[in-house]
Amino acid sequence: MGTALLEARSVTVRFGGLTAVDGISARFAAGELVGIIGPNGAGKTTFFNVLSGVLPPTSGRLLVAGDDLTGARPHRYAHHGIARTFQTPRVFAELTVAANIGFGLQFAGRGRAAAPGLADAAGILEVIGLSAHAAQPAAAITPSQQRLLEIGMALATRPRLLLLDEVAAGLTEGEVEHMARLIRGLRDDLALTVIWIEHAVTTLLRHVERVLVLHQGCKIADAAPAEVVRDARVIEAYLGDEMAQGTS
Amino acid sequence: MSGRRILGRDLSVLAVLAVIALALPAWVNEFGVSMALTCLMYVALSSSWSLFCGATRYLSLATSAFFGIGAYAGALTLGELPWLAAIALGAGAAAALAVVMGSAVLHLRGTYFAVLTFGMTELIRHAVTFAEKQIAGTVGRVLVFVPEPGTVYLTVLALAVLAVVTSIAVRRSRLGLALAGIGGDELRAQTLGVDTRRAKVIGFAISAAFAGAVGAAMSVRWTYIDPATVFNPFIGFQTVLIALIGGAATLWGPLVAAIVFSVLAEALRLQLPQLYMMALGLLLILSVLYLPGGLASLRPGILIGWRDALLARRPARRAGAGKVRDA
Repeated sequence: MGTALLEARSVTVRFGGLTAVDGISARFAAGELVGIIGPNGAGKTTFFNVLSGVLPPTSGRLLVAGDDLTGARPHRYAHHGIARTFQTPRVFAELTVAANIGFGLQFAGRGRAAAPGLADAAGILEVIGLSAHAAQPAAAITPSQQRLLEIGMALATRPRLLLLDEVAAGLTEGEVEHMARLIRGLRDDLALTVIWIEHAVTTLLRHVERVLVLHQGCKIADAAPAEVVRDARVIEAYLGDEMAQGTS
Repeated sequence: MSGRRILGRDLSVLAVLAVIALALPAWVNEFGVSMALTCLMYVALSSSWSLFCGATRYLSLATSAFFGIGAYAGALTLGELPWLAAIALGAGAAAALAVVMGSAVLHLRGTYFAVLTFGMTELIRHAVTFAEKQIAGTVGRVLVFVPEPGTVYLTVLALAVLAVVTSIAVRRSRLGLALAGIGGDELRAQTLGVDTRRAKVIGFAISAAFAGAVGAAMSVRWTYIDPATVFNPFIGFQTVLIALIGGAATLWGPLVAAIVFSVLAEALRLQLPQLYMMALGLLLILSVLYLPGGLASLRPGILIGWRDALLARRPARRAGAGKVRDA
């Protein structure tokens, strides 16, 4: 078995008496496009926080390309090529859109080889479609543009792996499709590994090749979308009748 | 305006101010020189405080500790070391203290950070007092080797200029960007690759080094120092107030406020010392409530906004009263 780009081994996170993530193991290979779904409170975002180093796990290990980064601070994950977005966009409101991109280029992105087209702020703005807003303060663009900017900031760190936390939440149908195409493009054209959490399950299942289903902090399925939607446990825990009808 | 033109403008303004300060002792009396020295001291203190605290929004109340440590380091070595070496030692001692203190408390934010820096300052003051009494068997230190008053003035002027130049340089550096990122969203800065702990400790130490150097330079003015004088919390509070009222996130706000308030302090201190503190306190409250960016963020648009808000309030009140009657 080759070395996974990112590997979680029996990761557990407890907040006091609550177990938010309960012994999850998962491997992510280079170039994969993987989705993570699960009902509210399933532990998706907590798991993401562990994968990006924002939250050290209570127990378990995290390996990035074979290096043990368990307990390391978030900037080390960034320097190892793990980039993330946040559910609620966390852009630097007072900086311009271009300067927000410049921030990532100045730190984790510095000294790392850039994918073609992502070498500078102008190229990244082109990819995410915000070139026209480069000089505006990040606070002045719309929330859906801020979600794109979040992705741009992550790309500026010149990552190998992109963790996307509900980037399509609150977007219109057209915007969701645009976002999905952008994400597929990042994987197909730039050979990035993408792990994508989304609440809108149908959109997600259409685009990913593999999906992890979390329920009450546990991983209850890890398979191709077509297989997952037929899994009895998944249907019971999360998808319910709505999905069964949708696929019949 | 492009970055280079802003740099040129800032450096020219600073050069003009420095030349004025340099020429001042030849034109004014002793009282005027003493007032100018106080101005320069607070320019150095509040500019260097803002360099770290304005960018990161970490409110440090430890300036008195750094000032006092610098003053003591300078006073204890002035007999053996040349003047500039004593100043450098004061800066070094304060920076070392900042590294230790920063490593302990810079993971805390907001009120906790502010209160702990103040607590540590008090702890250091009492520790030095204890050491004076119990170990050295003294209350304070008499400074025997005192340089010319002109030397002190030139040194503090140089420190003030250096503090502003350092602020300009840090703002244009990766360290400055990291500090601004920490102020904007610390976790986001971390996930974009900033070693926030390191950046904070370095920024805190730079800012402390200036307070320590100023402490070492100013200590000789008193000819006799004791912990109560050099660790005076008032110096730290006044620095913070000046920076906040002037606009800690800006380059020139703290400088302008330092000059205005030092002149005000010296002018009012003889007749009405309480009035000055009351005015400063009132201005702080007003600026926090209505002008969070400090006086430097004051623009004609803000004044117009205030006027409109005041005008809009009166009819609104009347309409509100009408509603009550209708109900």
